[in-house]
Amino acid sequence: MTDEYVELHARSAFSFLEGACVPEELVSACLRMDSSAMALLDRDGVYSAARFHMAAKKCGLRAHIGAELTVDFGTAGNPIHVSVPLLVKTRKGYQNLCRLITLIKMRVPKNTPCAATPDELAEYAEGLICLTGDRRGPLAHALHSSTWHESLHNPLIRRRDADPIVLVEWLLETFGRGNVYAELQRHLIREEEWRNQATVDIASKLKVSLLATNGACYSTRDQRQVLDVFTCLRNHVRLDEAGRLLARNSERNFKTPAVMKKLFADLPQAIANTIELSSCLTFALDDLGYEFPRYPVDNSHTMDSFLRKQTYEGARGRYDGRIGRPSYERALEQIDRELALITKLKLAGYFLIVWDIVEFCRKQGILVQGRGSAANSAVCYSLGITAVDPVGMELLFERFLSEERGEWPDIDLDLPSGDRRERVIQYVYETYGKAGAAMTANVITYRGRSAVREVGKVMDFDEPTLAKLSSLVSGWEWKDPNYKAEHQFRDAGLDLNSPRISKFLELYKLVQDLPRHLGQHSGGLVVCQGQLDSVVPLEPASMPGRVVIQWDKEDCADMGIVKVDLLGLGMMAVLEDSLELIRDAYGENVELAHIPYDDAEVYAGLQKADTIGLFQVESRAQMSCLPRMRPVKFYDLVVQVAIIRPGPIVGNMVNPYIRRRMGRETPDPLHPLLEPVLKRTLGIPLFQEQLLRIAMTCAGFTGGEAEELRRALGFKRSVQRMKEIEIKLRTGMERTGITGKTQDMIVQSISSFALYGFPESHAASFALIAYASAYLKCHYLAAFTAAILNNQPMGFYSPFTLVKDAQRHGLKVLPVDVTRSDWPCTIEKVDNALCLRLGLNYVKGLRELAGQAIVRERTAGPFLGIQNLSYRVPELRKNEVRALASVGALNHIGDASSSTGFSHRRDALWKAEHASREAGELYRELPEDGHQSPLNRMTLDERINADLRGTGITVGRHPIAHHRAELDDLNVIRAVDLARVADGSYVRVAGWVIVRQRPGTAKGFMFISMEDETGVSNAIVTPDMFDRNRITITQNPFLLIEGILQNQDGVVSIRARRIQALEFHVGTSVSHDFH
Amino acid sequence: MAPLYPLLFTIYFRLMFACLFEIGSSSNAVNKEAQSVERFVSVALLDLAYCFSPFIEESADNTLVLDLNGYELLFDSYRDIAAGIAARAAHAELKLNIAIANDPDTAILVARHIGGIVFVAPGEEEAQLTDLPTVVLDPALVKINSAKAIEIIETLSLWGINNCGQFAVLPEIGVIERLGQDGLRLQRLAKGTNNRALVPRKLKPKFEYSIQLEHHLKELEPLSFVLARLLNELCASLDAVALATNELYLYLKLEKEKEYTKTLNLPSPTRESRTFIKLLLLALETDPPEEPITEVHIGCNPTRPRVTQYGLFQPLAPEPDKLEMTLARIGNLVGKGNIGAAELLDTHRPDAFSVRHFAVRSRRKGSKKRLINKQPLIGFRRFRPLLQAEVQTLNGRPLRITAHDSLRKLSGRIVNLAGPWRTTGDWWSGDNWSRDEWDVSIKDSSGSETLYRIFHERSSDKWYVEGVYD
Repeated sequence: MTDEYVELHARSAFSFLEGACVPEELVSACLRMDSSAMALLDRDGVYSAARFHMAAKKCGLRAHIGAELTVDFGTAGNPIHVSVPLLVKTRKGYQNLCRLITLIKMRVPKNTPCAATPDELAEYAEGLICLTGDRRGPLAHALHSSTWHESLHNPLIRRRDADPIVLVEWLLETFGRGNVYAELQRHLIREEEWRNQATVDIASKLKVSLLATNGACYSTRDQRQVLDVFTCLRNHVRLDEAGRLLARNSERNFKTPAVMKKLFADLPQAIANTIELSSCLTFALDDLGYEFPRYPVDNSHTMDSFLRKQTYEGARGRYDGRIGRPSYERALEQIDRELALITKLKLAGYFLIVWDIVEFCRKQGILVQGRGSAANSAVCYSLGITAVDPVGMELLFERFLSEERGEWPDIDLDLPSGDRRERVIQYVYETYGKAGAAMTANVITYRGRSAVREVGKVMDFDEPTLAKLSSLVSGWEWKDPNYKAEHQFRDAGLDLNSPRISKFLELYKLVQDLPRHLGQHSGGLVVCQGQLDSVVPLEPASMPGRVVIQWDKEDCADMGIVKVDLLGLGMMAVLEDSLELIRDAYGENVELAHIPYDDAEVYAGLQKADTIGLFQVESRAQMSCLPRMRPVKFYDLVVQVAIIRPGPIVGNMVNPYIRRRMGRETPDPLHPLLEPVLKRTLGIPLFQEQLLRIAMTCAGFTGGEAEELRRALGFKRSVQRMKEIEIKLRTGMERTGITGKTQDMIVQSISSFALYGFPESHAASFALIAYASAYLKCHYLAAFTAAILNNQPMGFYSPFTLVKDAQRHGLKVLPVDVTRSDWPCTIEKVDNALCLRLGLNYVKGLRELAGQAIVRERTAGPFLGIQNLSYRVPELRKNEVRALASVGALNHIGDASSSTGFSHRRDALWKAEHASREAGELYRELPEDGHQSPLNRMTLDERINADLRGTGITVGRHPIAHHRAELDDLNVIRAVDLARVADGSYVRVAGWVIVRQRPGTAKGFMFISMEDETGVSNAIVTPDMFDRNRITITQNPFLLIEGILQNQDGVVSIRARRIQALEFHVGTSVSHDFH
Repeated sequence: MAPLYPLLFTIYFRLMFACLFEIGSSSNAVNKEAQSVERFVSVALLDLAYCFSPFIEESADNTLVLDLNGYELLFDSYRDIAAGIAARAAHAELKLNIAIANDPDTAILVARHIGGIVFVAPGEEEAQLTDLPTVVLDPALVKINSAKAIEIIETLSLWGINNCGQFAVLPEIGVIERLGQDGLRLQRLAKGTNNRALVPRKLKPKFEYSIQLEHHLKELEPLSFVLARLLNELCASLDAVALATNELYLYLKLEKEKEYTKTLNLPSPTRESRTFIKLLLLALETDPPEEPITEVHIGCNPTRPRVTQYGLFQPLAPEPDKLEMTLARIGNLVGKGNIGAAELLDTHRPDAFSVRHFAVRSRRKGSKKRLINKQPLIGFRRFRPLLQAEVQTLNGRPLRITAHDSLRKLSGRIVNLAGPWRTTGDWWSGDNWSRDEWDVSIKDSSGSETLYRIFHERSSDKWYVEGVYD
């Protein structure tokens, strides 16, 4: 690399619509152009600094950090926003820059223009280098100001926004002489050269060093087109009308030192100064100064000793020597090993802080469970962070923490989704301060539909064409690899020979994966000792009360910033709500920690794939696997959770495992050395821990090296890195005597599996929740069903399917009734049996405010009639009363035997309409007229339709049951009877489609689940069949499918040969389609 | 025996209405917004209706209601009237549904949704409408806004009331209590008892005049007399309704089935027929019809006339009509696209401008711009057309230039230069450009230096002299 010129003013696409390439492209360009360093200055942020730093580090480039800061040089009411380029010289400078950006971002709502004042800039100037800027910089503004030339001669005009001399003097005073550079850019524009001449004059007068930059916004010239498109998007105009908003030429690409030297041949000092300044910029992001917060302990303890004390105390409770559990002494051995490493890596504070969050949850009665690799740690288990015993399950600690890795451990906490999770997040904010904790960002990029829409809009394509084009972007999880953008455009009826359309296609491809805006990660929370805003700038999230950092979770991991993932899990909320309902309705105090893990009834249900509503094992693929796997113990469930994953499916590991499990194949560990490693999974590697152990056993890798191997094979695969690791692996295996075909098989199995592998600890954590859900459904069906209905939407199935499944299991479900229902679904005792009462929350269109008001007012006395209800609950709107009446929720209001009672929904509707019209003070207290309505009762079909439209659920017979006679005439077999039909028979099934799924791993096959009054039947549709019947399959709620029955090992499905729609008059769909 | 008088009263003194609903006629040609104000009714249907009654209501698209009061005296029965209308319609090749009823809205609903020729005897309205679904009740007939009507129909549907018969039997008080007066109006429509007064159609002023010529015209002079006559009538029509026009169109039918059209756009509205004649004749002189003229049609888009208040200190601008005529005359000489005011376009494309039609605009208050610019300015004279040049270069930089045409000549060594100044743009269209400009100082044979702007068109690799600096 040559040290002839350094680009010190580049901008990436992370300036959001002001740059057109990602930082990695700039780094590659830098390498190509033989440059040794570069500075990246994004607009009002350091959004891409981490990615830039990491990419540069890999190539041995020096990555200088900075930002273009918007500063307001105007007065109140007359803002003058200019863009001041700032380069970070020292760590103090970086901290100042982060604080300054945070300051301006946090005082306005998200996506609102913000600017620093000159005083603020002065306050945070230390450690920063200031450039006078390009055409939007302060000097250009002052030069173009109408009074600047007057001010040269008139000392009375001395405003820094109008007088370039005053401005530069002010910058020198603010940043210090030597920290201000007069920036020159040459993009072959006449006006720019005029500014350059003026800048050179001023610099020479004030003895300021010149600095040449190219203000690169993209790496290659063709990306100027993307920048023009972004300019249009930013200004909400079309390309044809953008005029002079667009770039004048394509000269803002990354230029070679030779080109820059030629451009500035008359000012060689401006080029030489780039080298000099680059060498002065000593700060790099390695020197971030991030420190995880210390946990406050009293004087008698250090953090390490306090952690040890808490761990030992916890371990005594966990390892109490009960049957099946390891002894305390055995556990202590592992715990001490972990604690020693934690002390060595100075991580005690981190563990204590996570423990503190878990303790907060416990005190608040919020269910919490750690997942991910943290479940490999006995310390986490002892502290109550995780619920899986790693000692008993012989889990590999190195997967969680190793000395070699040099990165923070990753602890994810599952919390009940919704308000309870928000409470925990707010607790962390309150504990560590608004500037000490923030959510990680999520960078939203231009993808299929957004790229089509936005580029198309700018190119002035009409709305129907864009709608058609974006509808062709595959919505299913399955993406046909042969279906490229060109096909998509052709299918939308666009002629690719047209220059305008081919340009559209070209731009569509160019903008793919470029950042569009910054979102908020669902649960990643970053905390910091001291001020987080000096580590990375913070900005407000769209959600009130939330603060987000400018980096995503990958960046945080790369920068060594520890994050705690507080993830919302619907099933955690279900479990928590179920336990509360069990306490109230059953009078039992069930604790998840103490439920028996050997309940035969639970396993019997799992073996039959009776898993609708259960965590992780309710999907179609899981259901088709369960009868073959026939789980009989908890570890079987751990395997079950892990095996139906893309990794094992793509790696063809599922069928061999099932064959071995069913005794049809002998387990074969690839090598005798691997027998202990793969014994539990019958010789098939299923878990990431096994992969690590294979590397450790066969190739003599250390724990850290093995983890390095896993990461190398992870999502961001690098061919070079994989080759290096493979060589290392093979060398290690040669040493242990594993050669030839066995060696190849092991390498093959490691590399094919590693991409999607599942950690055993994570599977065990999920299996715990899955088992708990199965246990509660099996023994406390009413409570579990009420809880799952109260936490919708979640899972694979709609509330309708969940209710019908519960009814088939014998649960009586009662309809919504304003005289009985609470806002959520509840449990009622009817004739000594526990029944489920649907809550008012299921009435579509009824607001919670009104629903809660009904419940509140009901406690003051029963409602005497609908008019009385409307009067006493003024929160109720007209359409809400109507909605209640139409689902039968007002049928029992008043006394049915009296003259004001109602017997059917239409009566209620007739009265409701009257009641919801304002009667005025005089008539309000009058009793309702007792006449029956002139309306007829709803028919059965009308009632079903009203239920489905109004609540999505019908508690009566299944809609299909009413058409059974017609289906019998068509020789349709009921779902429950299919299991008795011989394999290979040609059958007809029919039902209401409840799930349509086209998984990414199924090569275009589609799976349809249909429900009738007896259960669920499943059909498999080949890709050809799907293409021929696309509309029928996707648009109709009822289907009749005929084909060959596959009935093997208790798994029943139909291979569809013919599909047709059934015309049943139910005006709604209950299907969950997985796109 | 029942007294005869009440029976006669019932038969002869009830008003009867006929609704004519044209099937399959499309209103697509009419702009959607206009539809809400003006109904689309075909001319043939209107002509037919006027044959039977002078009182006609344009009730909706393709729908006319005729007041038949008194017609029973001319025909034997209302059925005969209907048959008469049907016969005429068949002759005019119109496909119609015809309904006669005592209530105009009942007649409309029946004609629209039952079809054929239907006579609804007085008192049988409710029975006739009973099977019609409630969704066909047109809220516009009872002046309810459509959102409200949709809400009422939805409520009725929730009640299980899906046809007019079911709606009609609901107690009126119950309906008012629940659905309000709007509900009652809609119920009356369903019962056929709305009994509203007809809103007869008013004749619209005519702004189109035409004439078929017995002798085909080959010269412009005789045509001017024809035009004068038509324009006088047109301007009189405009005058009668206090309107003027700024858009006049002329349509000439020529021999051999050819057509000729011309549209005049004026900067300000007027109704001076003399101005129109002169402008039309000027336009025809520039672009005369190719064949003899057989028919002349003239029409205009009426608009409000121009109202001008002259200021005491405001300089008088030329009369717009006179100015327009002058411009038309000059346009005849120099070509229409070559007259107007140059307007710079918002683009980086060098020398991009368009020619805007010239019009005098009054200067608005506060629009005065400071013309003082204290920065030194340099004048630039652009060569039109551009002067193509031969340029010797070294490493892409011009060294020597030679260029000449019939008027200008320049040649010499480049002694000083600045550049290149590069512009590229419109990359998304076929009309993209890319060029490098240089400011060059050329020393001629006399030793004097002149500063020129030259540019290199990168796509064609050609050099041009764009102009000279003063």
